[in-house]
Amino acid sequence: MPIQLKELQSLLYRLITAVNGVAQGLAAERELGAAELDTIVLGDDRLSAEARVDIYANMYFYRIRDALKEDFPATLAVLGDANFHNLVTGYLLEYPPTQPSISQCGSHLAEYLRRHPLREGAPFIADLATLERASVEVFLGPDAPAMEPDTLRAIAPEDWPAMKLRIHPSAQILALDWRVTELLRAVEEGRPWKPADRGAVKVLVWRRDARVFYRDLEKADVGALEAVSRGATFAEICEVVAENAEDPDPVAAMNRMLACWLSDRLLTPG
Amino acid sequence: MKRSDFPMLGYGVGLRRQHYNHVLETRPKVDWFEVISENFMVAGGRALEVLEGVRANYPIAMHGVSMSIGSADPLDRSYLRQLRDLARRFDPAWISDHLCWTGVGGRNLHDLLPLPYTEEALRHVVARIREVQDALERPILIENVSSYMAFADSTMSEWEFISAIANEADCGILLDINNIFVSAFNHSFDANEYIDAMPADRVVQYHLAGHSDHGAYLLDTHDHPVRDEVWALYERAARRFGAVSAIVEWDDNIPEFAKLAETADRARDIFNADSTERTPKPALSADHRS
Repeated sequence: MPIQLKELQSLLYRLITAVNGVAQGLAAERELGAAELDTIVLGDDRLSAEARVDIYANMYFYRIRDALKEDFPATLAVLGDANFHNLVTGYLLEYPPTQPSISQCGSHLAEYLRRHPLREGAPFIADLATLERASVEVFLGPDAPAMEPDTLRAIAPEDWPAMKLRIHPSAQILALDWRVTELLRAVEEGRPWKPADRGAVKVLVWRRDARVFYRDLEKADVGALEAVSRGATFAEICEVVAENAEDPDPVAAMNRMLACWLSDRLLTPG
Repeated sequence: MKRSDFPMLGYGVGLRRQHYNHVLETRPKVDWFEVISENFMVAGGRALEVLEGVRANYPIAMHGVSMSIGSADPLDRSYLRQLRDLARRFDPAWISDHLCWTGVGGRNLHDLLPLPYTEEALRHVVARIREVQDALERPILIENVSSYMAFADSTMSEWEFISAIANEADCGILLDINNIFVSAFNHSFDANEYIDAMPADRVVQYHLAGHSDHGAYLLDTHDHPVRDEVWALYERAARRFGAVSAIVEWDDNIPEFAKLAETADRARDIFNADSTERTPKPALSADHRS
């Protein structure tokens, strides 16, 4: 009796994704009383049925591993090829791809690394992967026009206190425990990298002219940007800056910050 | 649906990230671009900006890799909505995807897996293509994939299967000449027979690409120049089907754009040379008979 389409595809899926290869996947199926593979997939004198399924198993793993290598170059540089390969093997078991785009395959890698033994040798690795994943997400994130300085200049002075700013919808602020930005920059620029230092830090990841940038935020910057994110008025943002700024002149600090956000194309018209 | 329902776009290239700047800055002489739909089904950023720029200067077609038209899973409605929206925005000459399944049980293998050539699979795929065409508000093209396995339950050949699907679902065919060659080697069938069996008026587009030779099998890697045997098959197709839009695909070890454009020109030259042979020479006018 012919095998039903769903049954066939489910069997092939299990064999292709079997962690120890098609042969072991087949052994497990036989224990469950499954039919012999060569009654389902045709083999010949050049390639057995198992060898043919194995071609797909290899393509599945290597295609996704290579896509992850591209999205996580610094994580790869720190872990090395062999560790990265093993990491992906385990990761795909726990987080098999479910989305149509291969660019989504790495969306849980940082989370997976937080529980992974590889953290013992590189305790900053999950934060590094978080930053790399955020860079991918920001690169693909939604479009919005950048606010022009003239738009702000046109606002009447009496309207400034109640004015609300808006951060570009593709930007992200990450809360990390390790200072990993310099490590990622070194890898991206092809320089030797050093392990990241421990230290709580907020990192801004944003897009300007279709390119992704990232930087550690100063304390005053964090407070102000978080206030912008939660929809605070300009007057409330100024209060936050006044509380956090090390600068004795909070107005000057606010002006510098605003100029920086505008030149970074970080704001978008509300 | 017939080929003349679609424009003849000429000889183009599959748009790849490595060539974005070159294409935008130099507007190379090439007839059209095929873009991978999923690369542009994103919220925003560089990819969409590039596609705006390319579309302003060239016709495009959208080619997908994740429709999973043969999967036993329900169709992914969210995917289809995104694809439809992308098509509304960029107005491609057509949308294509592969005659395959890419996952099951809500999981995606990110690969193009073959179907058994059975009545069950045929009915399943035909019904789904009709649903997709309704959702996308246009006919689609389906592409034959390279395959490395075939199924004991198949009751027909691949060419019979794809022809029956195209006829019954009333869709077009994107004929990948290299995939025919690769699968013919891997499953020991006659590639010429495949070409000869295609419903001519449904063949709307060709893919031309290179593959790698692994001894016991050929792998569709798109990382080599088009092999002579594949050009020979293309000539056969060109003779049989007439003017059909074609693109060159190159996905790994991607050369400079000029190499891809040269390959597209070669496809044009082969078609033109062949059609010149087929076209009767115009009779000399009376004035020139002296």
